[in-house]
Amino acid sequence: MSAKTRVPVWLLATVVCAALPPILGRAGVWGFDQYHALILCFGVTYALAALPLNLLIGYAGQISLGHAAFLGIGAYSSGIIAGRLGLPFTLGLVVAAAVGALAALVIGLPALRLRGLYLALVTLGFGLAMASMVFRLRSVTGGYAGQAVPRPQAGTFVFLRNADLLAVIVVIFGLVWALDRNLLRTKVGRGFLALREDEEVAAAFGVDVPLYKLYAFALYGALSAIAGSVFGHVVGFAQQESFTFDLSLLFVVIVLIGGLRSRPGVATAAFFFGVTPRFFTFLKGWELIIAPAIVMFTLVRHPGGLGQTFGELRGLRTRKVATHEDDDEAETSSASLVLPRPAGEGVERRGTTPLEVRDVTVRFGGLVTVDSASLTVEAGQITGLIGPNGAGKSTLFNAISGFVRPTKGRVLLHGTDVTDAPPHRRAALGIGRTFQNIGLVKDLTVTENLLLAQHRLAGYGPLTALVHLPAVGKGERALRDRADETLHALHFERFATSELRELSHGQQRIVELAAALLTAPGVLLLDEPSAGMSPAAAEALAERLLQVRDELGQTILLIEHHLPLVLATCSTVHVMDAGRMLTSGAPADVTADPSVVAAYLGERVA
Amino acid sequence: MTDVVVAGIAAGAVYGLFALGLVLVYKATKILNFAQAEIGSFATFVAWGLITSWKLPWLVGAAGGVLVAGALGLAFERLVVRPLIDAPRLTLVVATIGMGLLLAGLEFKIWGASPHIMPSPFRGSGLTLGSVTLPPARLLALAITAVAAAASAWFFRRTTFGLAILAAAQDVVGVRLTGIRLRHLSAFTWLSSSVVGAIAGIVIALSLGAFAPTFLNGIMLLGFAAAVLGGMTSLPGALVGGIVVGVTQAVVSHYWISVAGLVETVMFAAIVAVLLFRPRGLMGRTA
Repeated sequence: MSAKTRVPVWLLATVVCAALPPILGRAGVWGFDQYHALILCFGVTYALAALPLNLLIGYAGQISLGHAAFLGIGAYSSGIIAGRLGLPFTLGLVVAAAVGALAALVIGLPALRLRGLYLALVTLGFGLAMASMVFRLRSVTGGYAGQAVPRPQAGTFVFLRNADLLAVIVVIFGLVWALDRNLLRTKVGRGFLALREDEEVAAAFGVDVPLYKLYAFALYGALSAIAGSVFGHVVGFAQQESFTFDLSLLFVVIVLIGGLRSRPGVATAAFFFGVTPRFFTFLKGWELIIAPAIVMFTLVRHPGGLGQTFGELRGLRTRKVATHEDDDEAETSSASLVLPRPAGEGVERRGTTPLEVRDVTVRFGGLVTVDSASLTVEAGQITGLIGPNGAGKSTLFNAISGFVRPTKGRVLLHGTDVTDAPPHRRAALGIGRTFQNIGLVKDLTVTENLLLAQHRLAGYGPLTALVHLPAVGKGERALRDRADETLHALHFERFATSELRELSHGQQRIVELAAALLTAPGVLLLDEPSAGMSPAAAEALAERLLQVRDELGQTILLIEHHLPLVLATCSTVHVMDAGRMLTSGAPADVTADPSVVAAYLGERVA
Repeated sequence: MTDVVVAGIAAGAVYGLFALGLVLVYKATKILNFAQAEIGSFATFVAWGLITSWKLPWLVGAAGGVLVAGALGLAFERLVVRPLIDAPRLTLVVATIGMGLLLAGLEFKIWGASPHIMPSPFRGSGLTLGSVTLPPARLLALAITAVAAAASAWFFRRTTFGLAILAAAQDVVGVRLTGIRLRHLSAFTWLSSSVVGAIAGIVIALSLGAFAPTFLNGIMLLGFAAAVLGGMTSLPGALVGGIVVGVTQAVVSHYWISVAGLVETVMFAAIVAVLLFRPRGLMGRTA
């Protein structure tokens, strides 16, 4: 493989961009002087400051309106370490990162309970409290007078020339860029993106949602504080007026204009915002009107931001993708779901009852949606769960997979009581599931979704993912191989790099089933897999499920309204009505049961 | 102590009024409207211009400012909100930030950064309650806030249009099926929040005496705190939240005046505590 010998583009670009300014500055080429170098310092620093916010908002879907506070934390930390204490500036960066991460963890704790804009208000309050109180404390930050941040120093060499400082900043930017890029290519990045789309989907694939949220916040805090340190070194000073709410807002605007998730887009937008104010002073105040007008125009006319533009320029998003609804049936019937199992999975579980639900009751306020329901799922069988709409089937599924905590009763998985385990733990213990409205991440590609599905099989830790060690590369290659095999088995190779949303509903459903099977779950819960399929496609699905059962010995619990599918696949059927288990037995007997008919069609008037 | 609390309540009424506008938009669209402060201060500048330069009667000038704010709200809804109706909420929040920055830029360009004096329509020194004197501007604020709260509560509980706005926040299709025009609902929401912001701005400028571009930004943040304390979707809650914020501010700054930024920090702690332990706010409904 050539990858081993080839120098990564980011590294090459960093070295070149870092080496150029000092050389140009000393040679006086193109009139490149102190002033130009300083402007570029601001540009790169802004880009450096925008990347972590993009990580938090664009990847992990959490919002921060207190960005300036984290930049301030960095600047003051560096000021105190490198300025007041006279220690090396690198130590200042490290301390800044640590303090920033700690502060972000404190802010992240409410995020475990709050979503979206409520969280935004917490971060807003944090930013305000920092700017108006902590940054003003004379003993800590020098109060209104501020805190001087000296130029970085390496041994006896002081980076006094702006061009030399620029080189340092470019190196730091290159490293953060690489870290961000590494992250996104691993299970951590996919976990973040899944969080943003749907926390339940993420948890169903085994992503530890609270941990990953805090992880995203900690990374955000650390990287933002590093950017703040750099900002301090560039300005030479940390003062309270620099880190106001307006600056926080500016960075949110930058991330959106750059295009959420797009690293190059966000960096470019930030660079632009960092550089231009110093070029456009001749506009005499009009820039304060023109710039917001451009921002709003961009949002309305081009909601994808710069990132989308870059994508279009590179022809990435315009690639024509076939989503022939007509071909659906042909495709879905030729594909196979008999996927290779991961090594060493599923063996030790033999001989126990895969799933047992004992007397589970779920109550929402005064409403009892599941009322002392019990059921047992036998190994290697497909068990059906049917009942009219509102019978409580999906709620029972949620109680089994951990999204709803039962008021009463136990859930046993291979004999282990998992009633108190969170969803991602249950996923690790062998519950796989699909959702009624497709439990995948719509703006990831098909391949990325299949990689996400293998989250808990990745074989490396979340911290290791940051630095992309060989172990990560090896783990990722194994996951990728299995994703490719899966695409091959499904005959879906041509969709490998399509975003999931570009596929038809039937195709998405097949990918979802494949993703759920990839984890080799002890029990697979399927929530209305044939919803939205034609009868012929549902028939093909039935064959496919039988194949999975026979060839892989897969145990399945199936919610389904399409009775022919139930009759064709299930060995036992449980019927729910109004939260209770009505009856159970062989499919043919159950469907002939008068009480079942009554539950579906209403009582016959005597 | 009593006089501090009374002064706090009077100040808090204004925060409550401002929060009312924020809650109106949030209730109907789930957007945090960061443009409200600048729409309010723009309206205040217009009212000031009409009263001092055009020599119009005070009430006419104020009404002119409110009208301009309403027009700005409608224009923003038509040109920005409607095209972005299917966009993520964050995009719209950023659009309101953009609108706020644009108006701030205009204020700086047209009227400059220096403070302006808001003329008062009142004579007399106001009402004296025991040892506290409430200046007329404060009394006006209290009265307007009470009227605005009562009117909006009536509107959302008793009128079809008000109920439709609430319903649209839950289920757009359902409202469409009833034959009510969604664009009218959306336009009305932005119109009313802009009007509330403008009234709050003028009243605040009156009670402060002087004002300058972006003078409402600090108030907006207290308004958000008030809205959160009230549960973000409750109109009476916004008022109560405003009063809690006002009293807290008065007490904290009266007894611990030497600690800079303590008010903001206490607010932040209160917001976090409320969101964590009572996410629906002090007055929000539990179901």
